[in-house]
Amino acid sequence: MTTQDLTGTIWSDVDRALSGVTVRAERGLLDLIVYIPRDEVVRALRALKRDAGVSFDYLRSLTAVDNEDEGIDIVYHLYSTAKKYNLTVKTTLPNDDLTVDTATAVWRGANWLERETAEMFGVRFRGHPDPRTLLMPEDMDDTFPLRKSHPLAEIEVLQGEGMGYTEEDR
Amino acid sequence: MVASPQHEFETQDLLINVGPQHPSTHGVFRMVLTIDGEVVKDVVPYIGYLHRGAEKLCETMDFRQGSGFMDRTEYLAAHNAELSYVMAVEALAGLEVPERAQWIRMILCELNRLSSHFMFLGAFGIDVGVFGTPFIYAWREREAIIDLFEEISGDRMMYAYFRPGGLAWDVPLNFKERVREVLKSTRQGIKDFDELLTQNEIFRARTEGVGTISAEDAIDWGMSGPSIRASGVPLDVRREEPYLKYADVDWDVITGENGDVFDRYYCRLLEMRESVKIIEQCLERLESGIIVPDKMPRMLRAAPGEVYIRTEAPRGEYGIYMVSKGGNRPYRLKVRSACLSNLQALRQMSVDQYVADAILVLGSIDIVLSEVDR
Repeated sequence: MTTQDLTGTIWSDVDRALSGVTVRAERGLLDLIVYIPRDEVVRALRALKRDAGVSFDYLRSLTAVDNEDEGIDIVYHLYSTAKKYNLTVKTTLPNDDLTVDTATAVWRGANWLERETAEMFGVRFRGHPDPRTLLMPEDMDDTFPLRKSHPLAEIEVLQGEGMGYTEEDR
Repeated sequence: MVASPQHEFETQDLLINVGPQHPSTHGVFRMVLTIDGEVVKDVVPYIGYLHRGAEKLCETMDFRQGSGFMDRTEYLAAHNAELSYVMAVEALAGLEVPERAQWIRMILCELNRLSSHFMFLGAFGIDVGVFGTPFIYAWREREAIIDLFEEISGDRMMYAYFRPGGLAWDVPLNFKERVREVLKSTRQGIKDFDELLTQNEIFRARTEGVGTISAEDAIDWGMSGPSIRASGVPLDVRREEPYLKYADVDWDVITGENGDVFDRYYCRLLEMRESVKIIEQCLERLESGIIVPDKMPRMLRAAPGEVYIRTEAPRGEYGIYMVSKGGNRPYRLKVRSACLSNLQALRQMSVDQYVADAILVLGSIDIVLSEVDR
Protein backbone atom coordinates (compact mmCIF):
# COMPACT_ATOMS: atom_id res chain seq x y z
CA MET A 1 0.00 0.00 0.00
CA THR A 2 1.65 3.15 -1.09
CA THR A 3 0.85 6.45 -2.73
CA GLN A 4 4.32 7.50 -3.85
CA ASP A 5 5.89 6.47 -7.12
CA LEU A 6 8.51 3.94 -6.10
CA THR A 7 9.77 2.85 -9.50
CA GLY A 8 13.50 2.34 -9.60
CA THR A 9 13.57 1.17 -5.99
CA ILE A 10 13.58 -2.29 -4.53
CA TRP A 11 9.94 -1.87 -3.51
CA SER A 12 8.48 -4.61 -5.76
CA ASP A 13 10.86 -7.21 -4.25
CA VAL A 14 10.20 -6.01 -0.72
CA ASP A 15 6.46 -5.96 -1.32
CA ARG A 16 6.56 -9.56 -2.51
CA ALA A 17 8.55 -10.66 0.54
CA LEU A 18 6.14 -8.85 2.85
CA SER A 19 2.89 -10.28 1.53
CA GLY A 20 0.33 -10.46 4.31
CA VAL A 21 1.97 -7.67 6.33
CA THR A 22 0.50 -4.20 6.66
CA VAL A 23 3.16 -1.99 5.18
CA ARG A 24 3.53 1.58 4.00
CA ALA A 25 6.53 2.56 1.92
CA GLU A 26 8.28 5.83 1.31
CA ARG A 27 11.29 6.88 -0.71
CA GLY A 28 14.11 7.95 1.58
CA LEU A 29 17.16 10.03 0.65
CA LEU A 30 19.26 6.93 0.03
CA ASP A 31 17.23 3.89 0.96
CA LEU A 32 13.63 2.78 0.79
CA ILE A 33 11.81 3.23 4.09
CA VAL A 34 8.95 0.94 5.11
CA TYR A 35 6.63 1.48 8.06
CA ILE A 36 5.24 -1.63 9.71
CA PRO A 37 2.87 -1.85 12.73
CA ARG A 38 4.73 -3.05 15.79
CA ASP A 39 2.73 -6.24 16.24
CA GLU A 40 3.86 -7.42 12.85
CA VAL A 41 7.36 -6.02 12.73
CA VAL A 42 9.36 -9.04 13.86
CA ARG A 43 7.33 -11.35 11.62
CA ALA A 44 8.08 -8.98 8.77
CA LEU A 45 11.80 -8.82 9.63
CA ARG A 46 11.97 -12.59 9.64
CA ALA A 47 10.24 -12.72 6.27
CA LEU A 48 12.66 -10.12 4.90
CA LYS A 49 15.58 -12.23 6.05
CA ARG A 50 14.27 -15.57 4.83
CA ASP A 51 12.78 -14.50 1.50
CA ALA A 52 15.24 -15.47 -1.24
CA GLY A 53 14.23 -12.50 -3.37
CA VAL A 54 15.62 -9.99 -0.88
CA SER A 55 17.44 -11.99 1.87
CA PHE A 56 18.26 -9.18 4.27
CA ASP A 57 20.80 -11.18 6.25
CA TYR A 58 22.78 -8.28 7.71
CA LEU A 59 21.50 -5.94 10.40
CA ARG A 60 23.44 -2.73 10.02
CA SER A 61 21.98 -0.79 12.88
CA LEU A 62 19.06 -0.77 15.27
CA THR A 63 18.05 2.31 17.16
CA ALA A 64 15.17 4.50 18.23
CA VAL A 65 14.01 8.07 17.76
CA ASP A 66 11.99 9.87 20.42
CA ASN A 67 9.25 11.85 18.71
CA GLU A 68 7.88 13.13 22.02
CA ASP A 69 4.07 13.16 21.79
CA GLU A 70 4.00 10.90 18.76
CA GLY A 71 5.72 8.01 20.52
CA ILE A 72 9.06 6.36 19.92
CA ASP A 73 10.14 5.02 16.53
CA ILE A 74 12.27 1.88 16.38
CA VAL A 75 14.47 1.97 13.29
CA TYR A 76 16.14 -1.04 11.69
CA HIS A 77 18.71 -0.63 8.93
CA LEU A 78 19.00 -3.81 6.92
CA TYR A 79 21.37 -4.92 4.21
CA SER A 80 21.41 -7.87 1.91
CA THR A 81 24.93 -9.16 1.26
CA ALA A 82 23.72 -11.22 -1.70
CA LYS A 83 21.48 -8.67 -3.42
CA LYS A 84 23.25 -5.53 -2.18
CA TYR A 85 19.90 -4.04 -1.15
CA ASN A 86 19.41 -1.53 1.62
CA LEU A 87 16.20 -1.08 3.53
CA THR A 88 15.08 0.98 6.49
CA VAL A 89 12.27 -0.51 8.57
CA LYS A 90 10.44 1.70 11.03
CA THR A 91 7.79 0.98 13.59
CA THR A 92 6.12 3.35 16.01
CA LEU A 93 5.53 2.54 19.67
CA PRO A 94 2.87 4.54 21.54
CA ASN A 95 4.07 6.34 24.66
CA ASP A 96 1.74 4.37 26.95
CA ASP A 97 3.12 1.00 25.88
CA LEU A 98 6.77 1.07 24.80
CA THR A 99 7.07 -2.63 24.05
CA VAL A 100 8.11 -4.48 20.92
CA ASP A 101 9.19 -8.06 20.23
CA THR A 102 12.91 -8.73 20.14
CA ALA A 103 14.74 -9.18 16.85
CA THR A 104 17.51 -11.27 18.42
CA ALA A 105 15.88 -14.43 17.07
CA VAL A 106 16.28 -13.02 13.56
CA TRP A 107 19.82 -11.67 13.83
CA ARG A 108 22.00 -12.42 16.87
CA GLY A 109 23.69 -9.09 16.29
CA ALA A 110 20.54 -7.32 17.46
CA ASN A 111 21.37 -8.33 21.03
CA TRP A 112 23.56 -5.44 22.19
CA LEU A 113 21.85 -2.93 19.93
CA GLU A 114 18.53 -3.70 21.62
CA ARG A 115 20.09 -3.57 25.05
CA GLU A 116 21.44 -0.13 24.28
CA THR A 117 18.14 1.08 22.83
CA ALA A 118 16.27 -0.30 25.84
CA GLU A 119 18.34 1.53 28.43
CA MET A 120 18.56 4.76 26.46
CA PHE A 121 14.87 5.06 25.58
CA GLY A 122 13.07 2.89 28.11
CA VAL A 123 11.76 0.58 25.41
CA ARG A 124 11.14 -3.03 26.41
CA PHE A 125 12.11 -5.73 23.94
CA ARG A 126 9.82 -8.65 24.70
CA GLY A 127 11.67 -11.96 24.83
CA HIS A 128 15.18 -10.51 24.87
CA PRO A 129 17.59 -13.22 26.09
CA ASP A 130 19.82 -10.89 28.12
CA PRO A 131 17.97 -7.75 29.20
CA ARG A 132 20.78 -6.21 31.28
CA THR A 133 22.02 -2.66 30.79
CA LEU A 134 24.86 -2.28 28.33
CA LEU A 135 26.50 1.13 28.68
CA MET A 136 24.72 2.48 31.76
CA PRO A 137 25.26 1.43 35.36
CA GLU A 138 23.09 -1.49 36.41
CA ASP A 139 21.04 0.53 38.88
CA MET A 140 20.21 3.24 36.39
CA ASP A 141 16.83 1.92 35.33
CA ASP A 142 14.45 4.78 36.00
CA THR A 143 15.82 7.47 33.70
CA PHE A 144 16.42 7.29 29.97
CA PRO A 145 19.18 9.56 28.69
CA LEU A 146 18.30 9.74 25.00
CA ARG A 147 14.71 10.73 25.54
CA LYS A 148 13.99 14.32 24.67
CA SER A 149 12.63 14.91 28.18
CA HIS A 150 15.96 13.98 29.76
CA PRO A 151 18.07 17.02 30.63
CA LEU A 152 21.60 17.32 29.34
CA ALA A 153 23.09 17.45 32.83
CA GLU A 154 25.07 20.52 33.84
CA ILE A 155 24.87 22.34 30.53
CA GLU A 156 21.14 22.74 30.88
CA VAL A 157 21.33 23.32 34.60
CA LEU A 158 23.72 26.20 33.99
CA GLN A 159 21.70 27.60 31.15
CA GLY A 160 18.53 27.20 33.16
CA GLU A 161 15.16 27.81 31.65
CA GLY A 162 16.59 28.87 28.31
CA MET A 163 16.65 25.23 27.31
CA GLY A 164 13.12 24.51 28.50
CA TYR A 165 14.21 23.05 31.82
CA THR A 166 11.47 22.89 34.40
CA GLU A 167 11.66 23.34 38.16
CA GLU A 168 10.40 19.81 38.68
CA ASP A 169 13.39 18.19 36.97
CA ARG A 170 15.82 20.13 39.12
CA MET B 1 54.45 -42.35 32.76
CA VAL B 2 51.02 -41.05 33.64
CA ALA B 3 48.66 -43.23 35.59
CA SER B 4 45.14 -43.11 34.27
CA PRO B 5 42.80 -41.79 36.93
CA GLN B 6 40.46 -44.30 38.47
CA HIS B 7 37.68 -41.80 38.86
CA GLU B 8 36.83 -38.34 37.59
CA PHE B 9 38.10 -35.62 39.86
CA GLU B 10 35.72 -32.85 40.60
CA THR B 11 36.89 -29.57 39.15
CA GLN B 12 35.78 -26.09 39.89
CA ASP B 13 35.46 -23.33 37.31
CA LEU B 14 37.47 -20.24 38.07
CA LEU B 15 36.40 -16.70 37.30
CA ILE B 16 39.07 -14.31 36.10
CA ASN B 17 38.44 -10.62 35.80
CA VAL B 18 40.34 -8.90 32.99
CA GLY B 19 40.30 -5.12 32.95
CA PRO B 20 38.87 -2.54 32.88
CA GLN B 21 42.32 -1.07 33.32
CA HIS B 22 44.62 -3.56 31.79
CA PRO B 23 46.93 -2.94 28.81
CA SER B 24 45.71 -6.01 26.93
CA THR B 25 42.14 -4.74 26.79
CA HIS B 26 43.12 -1.76 24.63
CA GLY B 27 41.30 0.76 26.75
CA VAL B 28 38.66 0.55 29.42
CA PHE B 29 37.11 -2.76 28.53
CA ARG B 30 36.36 -5.44 31.06
CA MET B 31 35.64 -9.09 30.56
CA VAL B 32 35.00 -11.85 33.03
CA LEU B 33 36.40 -15.17 31.88
CA THR B 34 35.13 -18.45 33.26
CA ILE B 35 37.98 -20.90 32.91
CA ASP B 36 38.36 -24.61 33.36
CA GLY B 37 42.07 -25.21 33.70
CA GLU B 38 43.58 -23.21 30.87
CA VAL B 39 40.48 -23.28 28.69
CA VAL B 40 37.96 -20.46 28.47
CA LYS B 41 34.41 -21.70 29.04
CA ASP B 42 32.55 -18.42 29.03
CA VAL B 43 33.20 -14.73 28.44
CA VAL B 44 31.04 -11.93 29.77
CA PRO B 45 32.12 -8.58 28.32
CA TYR B 46 31.34 -5.30 30.08
CA ILE B 47 31.48 -2.02 28.23
CA GLY B 48 30.32 1.50 28.92
CA TYR B 49 33.22 2.84 30.96
CA LEU B 50 33.88 5.49 28.34
CA HIS B 51 30.28 6.40 27.64
CA ARG B 52 30.04 10.17 27.26
CA GLY B 53 26.64 10.45 25.63
CA ALA B 54 28.00 11.56 22.26
CA GLU B 55 24.64 11.07 20.60
CA LYS B 56 22.81 13.23 23.10
CA LEU B 57 25.51 15.91 22.98
CA CYS B 58 25.34 16.06 19.19
CA GLU B 59 21.65 16.92 19.40
CA THR B 60 22.67 20.20 21.01
CA MET B 61 25.56 21.01 18.67
CA ASP B 62 25.19 22.62 15.29
CA PHE B 63 26.63 20.94 12.25
CA ARG B 64 30.09 22.54 12.47
CA GLN B 65 30.51 21.58 16.11
CA GLY B 66 29.15 18.11 15.49
CA SER B 67 31.74 17.18 12.90
CA GLY B 68 34.45 18.20 15.36
CA PHE B 69 32.91 16.08 18.06
CA MET B 70 32.98 13.01 15.83
CA ASP B 71 36.78 12.98 16.25
CA ARG B 72 36.23 12.15 19.88
CA THR B 73 34.17 9.08 19.10
CA GLU B 74 36.82 7.43 16.94
CA TYR B 75 40.14 9.00 17.82
CA LEU B 76 42.33 6.60 15.84
CA ALA B 77 40.51 7.25 12.59
CA ALA B 78 39.07 10.69 13.13
CA HIS B 79 39.00 11.63 9.45
CA ASN B 80 36.82 8.63 8.68
CA ALA B 81 34.48 9.47 11.52
CA GLU B 82 34.15 13.09 10.38
CA LEU B 83 33.47 11.91 6.87
CA SER B 84 30.31 10.01 7.80
CA TYR B 85 28.98 12.98 9.72
CA VAL B 86 29.62 15.59 7.05
CA MET B 87 28.23 13.30 4.37
CA ALA B 88 25.04 12.95 6.37
CA VAL B 89 24.74 16.73 6.69
CA GLU B 90 25.47 17.18 2.99
CA ALA B 91 22.78 14.65 2.08
CA LEU B 92 20.20 16.41 4.24
CA ALA B 93 21.18 19.95 3.27
CA GLY B 94 21.61 19.08 -0.40
CA LEU B 95 25.21 20.26 -0.71
CA GLU B 96 27.39 19.30 -3.65
CA VAL B 97 31.01 18.71 -2.64
CA PRO B 98 33.64 20.02 -5.12
CA GLU B 99 35.87 17.49 -6.85
CA ARG B 100 39.09 18.64 -5.21
CA ALA B 101 37.61 18.34 -1.73
CA GLN B 102 36.48 14.80 -2.51
CA TRP B 103 39.93 13.70 -3.64
CA ILE B 104 41.59 15.29 -0.61
CA ARG B 105 39.06 13.64 1.69
CA MET B 106 39.79 10.31 0.12
CA ILE B 107 43.56 10.72 0.50
CA LEU B 108 43.22 11.70 4.14
CA CYS B 109 40.80 8.86 4.93
CA GLU B 110 43.13 6.30 3.42
CA LEU B 111 46.12 7.80 5.23
CA ASN B 112 44.11 7.57 8.39
CA ARG B 113 43.40 3.93 7.66
CA LEU B 114 47.15 3.40 7.35
CA SER B 115 47.92 5.13 10.62
CA SER B 116 45.14 3.23 12.38
CA HIS B 117 46.33 -0.12 11.02
CA PHE B 118 49.90 0.67 12.09
CA MET B 119 48.54 1.23 15.57
CA PHE B 120 46.87 -2.17 15.32
CA LEU B 121 50.03 -3.89 14.14
CA GLY B 122 52.05 -2.46 17.00
CA ALA B 123 49.51 -3.24 19.70
CA PHE B 124 48.76 -6.66 18.29
CA GLY B 125 52.45 -7.49 18.30
CA ILE B 126 52.47 -6.86 22.02
CA ASP B 127 49.35 -9.02 22.48
CA VAL B 128 51.11 -11.87 20.73
CA GLY B 129 54.17 -11.43 22.89
CA VAL B 130 56.64 -9.81 20.49
CA PHE B 131 57.53 -7.14 22.99
CA GLY B 132 58.78 -3.75 21.92
CA THR B 133 60.03 -4.07 18.38
CA PRO B 134 56.79 -4.00 16.36
CA PHE B 135 55.33 -1.34 18.57
CA ILE B 136 58.26 1.00 18.03
CA TYR B 137 58.35 0.25 14.31
CA ALA B 138 54.64 0.95 14.06
CA TRP B 139 54.92 4.10 16.08
CA ARG B 140 57.64 5.43 13.81
CA GLU B 141 55.48 4.98 10.70
CA ARG B 142 52.34 6.24 12.37
CA GLU B 143 54.18 9.30 13.60
CA ALA B 144 55.11 10.26 10.03
CA ILE B 145 51.45 10.17 9.02
CA ILE B 146 50.29 12.03 12.10
CA ASP B 147 52.90 14.73 11.44
CA LEU B 148 51.43 15.20 7.99
CA PHE B 149 47.94 15.50 9.47
CA GLU B 150 49.23 18.12 11.86
CA GLU B 151 50.69 20.14 9.01
CA ILE B 152 47.33 20.06 7.26
CA SER B 153 44.82 20.49 10.05
CA GLY B 154 46.86 21.90 12.91
CA ASP B 155 46.14 18.97 15.20
CA ARG B 156 47.59 15.53 15.65
CA MET B 157 44.41 13.64 16.48
CA MET B 158 41.33 15.87 16.64
CA TYR B 159 41.39 17.33 13.15
CA ALA B 160 37.94 18.90 12.60
CA TYR B 161 39.15 19.36 9.03
CA PHE B 162 36.18 18.02 7.08
CA ARG B 163 33.32 20.49 7.12
CA PRO B 164 29.86 20.15 5.65
CA GLY B 165 30.31 21.10 2.00
CA GLY B 166 34.03 20.51 1.79
CA LEU B 167 37.12 21.21 3.85
CA ALA B 168 38.02 23.75 6.47
CA TRP B 169 40.82 25.21 4.33
CA ASP B 170 43.01 24.09 1.48
CA VAL B 171 45.99 21.79 1.98
CA PRO B 172 49.53 23.24 2.06
CA LEU B 173 51.27 23.86 -1.27
CA ASN B 174 53.73 21.00 -0.81
CA PHE B 175 50.91 18.53 -0.05
CA LYS B 176 51.60 16.13 -2.90
CA GLU B 177 55.32 15.92 -2.21
CA ARG B 178 54.72 15.41 1.49
CA VAL B 179 52.20 12.62 0.91
CA ARG B 180 54.60 10.89 -1.48
CA GLU B 181 57.35 11.21 1.10
CA VAL B 182 55.12 9.65 3.77
CA LEU B 183 54.04 6.87 1.42
CA LYS B 184 57.65 5.97 0.80
CA SER B 185 58.27 5.30 4.48
CA THR B 186 54.85 3.64 4.80
CA ARG B 187 55.64 1.20 2.04
CA GLN B 188 58.89 0.30 3.76
CA GLY B 189 57.03 -0.02 7.06
CA ILE B 190 54.50 -2.46 5.62
CA LYS B 191 57.36 -4.52 4.19
CA ASP B 192 59.11 -4.51 7.57
CA PHE B 193 56.02 -5.83 9.29
CA ASP B 194 55.49 -8.46 6.65
CA GLU B 195 58.98 -9.76 7.31
CA LEU B 196 58.86 -9.31 11.03
CA LEU B 197 55.48 -10.91 11.77
CA THR B 198 53.94 -12.67 8.76
CA GLN B 199 57.03 -14.70 8.08
CA ASN B 200 57.72 -15.35 11.73
CA GLU B 201 57.16 -19.01 12.53
CA ILE B 202 56.36 -18.43 16.18
CA PHE B 203 53.89 -15.68 15.31
CA ARG B 204 52.09 -17.94 12.88
CA ALA B 205 51.99 -20.87 15.26
CA ARG B 206 50.48 -18.55 17.83
CA THR B 207 47.80 -17.05 15.58
CA GLU B 208 46.76 -19.61 12.96
CA GLY B 209 43.59 -21.53 13.69
CA VAL B 210 42.86 -19.46 16.80
CA GLY B 211 39.52 -17.72 17.36
CA THR B 212 37.87 -18.77 14.11
CA ILE B 213 34.49 -17.48 13.08
CA SER B 214 32.57 -18.62 10.02
CA ALA B 215 31.22 -16.31 7.33
CA GLU B 216 27.58 -17.01 8.29
CA ASP B 217 28.20 -16.26 11.96
CA ALA B 218 30.12 -13.10 11.14
CA ILE B 219 27.23 -11.81 9.03
CA ASP B 220 24.70 -12.79 11.68
CA TRP B 221 26.58 -10.86 14.36
CA GLY B 222 26.79 -7.83 12.10
CA MET B 223 30.57 -7.76 12.02
CA SER B 224 32.24 -5.51 9.49
CA GLY B 225 35.59 -4.30 8.26
CA PRO B 226 38.69 -6.50 8.14
CA SER B 227 37.16 -8.66 10.88
CA ILE B 228 34.40 -9.92 8.58
CA ARG B 229 36.51 -9.93 5.42
CA ALA B 230 38.94 -12.30 7.14
CA SER B 231 36.09 -14.82 7.21
CA GLY B 232 35.81 -14.63 3.44
CA VAL B 233 32.92 -12.16 3.16
CA PRO B 234 33.85 -9.45 0.65
CA LEU B 235 31.84 -6.82 2.49
CA ASP B 236 33.40 -3.41 1.98
CA VAL B 237 31.26 -0.28 1.74
CA ARG B 238 33.86 1.31 -0.52
CA ARG B 239 33.16 -1.38 -3.08
CA GLU B 240 29.48 -2.19 -2.46
CA GLU B 241 28.20 1.38 -2.43
CA PRO B 242 31.09 3.58 -3.57
CA TYR B 243 31.17 7.05 -2.05
CA LEU B 244 33.69 9.84 -2.70
CA LYS B 245 35.69 8.63 -5.73
CA TYR B 246 36.23 5.00 -4.84
CA ALA B 247 34.51 3.88 -8.03
CA ASP B 248 37.09 5.77 -10.10
CA VAL B 249 40.22 4.16 -8.71
CA ASP B 250 41.56 0.68 -9.07
CA TRP B 251 41.93 -1.41 -5.93
CA ASP B 252 41.04 -4.84 -4.57
CA VAL B 253 38.90 -5.98 -1.67
CA ILE B 254 41.09 -8.20 0.50
CA THR B 255 39.44 -11.27 1.96
CA GLY B 256 40.75 -14.09 4.10
CA GLU B 257 39.79 -17.74 4.10
CA ASN B 258 39.79 -19.13 7.60
CA GLY B 259 38.45 -16.27 9.70
CA ASP B 260 41.07 -16.87 12.36
CA VAL B 261 43.28 -14.41 14.21
CA PHE B 262 46.01 -14.66 11.61
CA ASP B 263 43.64 -13.85 8.77
CA ARG B 264 42.32 -10.83 10.61
CA TYR B 265 45.89 -9.62 11.03
CA TYR B 266 46.91 -10.42 7.48
CA CYS B 267 43.83 -8.83 5.90
CA ARG B 268 44.74 -5.58 7.57
CA LEU B 269 48.32 -5.77 6.39
CA LEU B 270 47.30 -6.44 2.78
CA GLU B 271 44.63 -3.78 2.99
CA MET B 272 47.35 -1.25 3.79
CA ARG B 273 48.99 -1.97 0.46
CA GLU B 274 45.64 -1.29 -1.23
CA SER B 275 45.38 1.99 0.64
CA VAL B 276 48.79 3.03 -0.65
CA LYS B 277 47.61 2.14 -4.16
CA ILE B 278 44.47 4.24 -3.75
CA ILE B 279 46.38 7.26 -2.44
CA GLU B 280 48.85 7.14 -5.33
CA GLN B 281 46.00 7.22 -7.83
CA CYS B 282 44.30 10.04 -5.94
CA LEU B 283 47.47 12.12 -6.06
CA GLU B 284 47.62 11.75 -9.82
CA ARG B 285 44.01 12.83 -10.22
CA LEU B 286 44.12 15.71 -7.72
CA GLU B 287 43.75 19.04 -9.48
CA SER B 288 43.47 22.57 -8.22
CA GLY B 289 40.02 23.98 -7.67
CA ILE B 290 37.63 25.12 -5.01
CA ILE B 291 37.25 23.23 -1.75
CA VAL B 292 33.81 24.43 -0.65
CA PRO B 293 30.79 25.08 -2.86
CA ASP B 294 30.49 28.62 -4.21
CA LYS B 295 27.05 29.14 -2.78
CA MET B 296 27.69 27.98 0.74
CA PRO B 297 24.96 29.29 3.05
CA ARG B 298 26.11 31.38 5.96
CA MET B 299 23.94 29.45 8.37
CA LEU B 300 23.64 25.81 7.42
CA ARG B 301 20.16 24.38 7.76
CA ALA B 302 19.11 20.86 6.90
CA ALA B 303 15.79 19.92 5.37
CA PRO B 304 13.51 17.69 7.45
CA GLY B 305 14.22 14.07 6.74
CA GLU B 306 16.49 11.24 7.71
CA VAL B 307 19.49 9.51 6.25
CA TYR B 308 21.74 6.62 7.18
CA ILE B 309 25.26 7.19 5.84
CA ARG B 310 27.76 4.36 6.01
CA THR B 311 31.43 4.57 5.21
CA GLU B 312 34.26 2.10 5.55
CA ALA B 313 36.39 3.14 8.49
CA PRO B 314 39.50 1.12 9.40
CA ARG B 315 37.55 -1.00 11.87
CA GLY B 316 34.50 -1.49 9.70
CA GLU B 317 31.30 0.23 8.89
CA TYR B 318 31.02 3.58 10.61
CA GLY B 319 27.44 4.67 10.18
CA ILE B 320 25.68 7.90 10.98
CA TYR B 321 21.90 7.88 11.22
CA MET B 322 20.79 11.48 11.24
CA VAL B 323 17.23 12.67 11.68
CA SER B 324 16.52 16.30 10.94
CA LYS B 325 13.37 18.26 11.64
CA GLY B 326 14.79 21.38 10.04
CA GLY B 327 17.13 23.76 11.82
CA ASN B 328 20.86 23.88 12.26
CA ARG B 329 21.35 20.77 14.38
CA PRO B 330 20.31 17.13 14.16
CA TYR B 331 17.11 16.10 15.92
CA ARG B 332 18.60 12.69 16.55
CA LEU B 333 22.02 11.32 15.77
CA LYS B 334 23.01 7.69 16.06
CA VAL B 335 26.54 6.46 15.60
CA ARG B 336 26.71 2.92 14.31
CA SER B 337 29.88 1.62 15.83
CA ALA B 338 31.76 -1.07 13.97
CA CYS B 339 33.61 -2.17 17.09
CA LEU B 340 30.41 -2.65 19.10
CA SER B 341 29.07 -5.14 16.58
CA ASN B 342 32.45 -6.83 16.19
CA LEU B 343 32.79 -7.12 19.93
CA GLN B 344 29.50 -8.99 20.20
CA ALA B 345 31.10 -11.93 18.46
CA LEU B 346 33.94 -12.01 21.00
CA ARG B 347 32.27 -14.65 23.14
CA GLN B 348 31.79 -17.04 20.27
CA MET B 349 35.38 -16.57 19.11
CA SER B 350 36.95 -17.01 22.55
CA VAL B 351 35.05 -19.95 24.02
CA ASP B 352 37.09 -23.18 24.05
CA GLN B 353 40.31 -21.27 23.44
CA TYR B 354 43.19 -20.93 25.88
CA VAL B 355 43.20 -17.93 28.20
CA ALA B 356 46.27 -16.48 26.48
CA ASP B 357 44.51 -16.81 23.14
CA ALA B 358 41.45 -14.95 24.38
CA ILE B 359 43.69 -11.90 24.61
CA LEU B 360 44.77 -12.48 21.01
CA VAL B 361 41.19 -12.74 19.84
CA LEU B 362 40.35 -9.48 21.54
CA GLY B 363 43.42 -7.85 20.02
CA SER B 364 42.58 -9.14 16.57
CA ILE B 365 39.25 -7.31 16.35
CA ASP B 366 41.11 -4.06 17.06
CA ILE B 367 38.62 -2.29 19.29
CA VAL B 368 38.62 1.39 20.11
CA LEU B 369 36.62 1.78 23.28
CA SER B 370 35.72 5.38 22.66
CA GLU B 371 33.91 4.22 19.55
CA VAL B 372 32.24 1.29 21.30
CA ASP B 373 30.89 3.40 24.14
CA ARG B 374 30.53 6.76 22.34
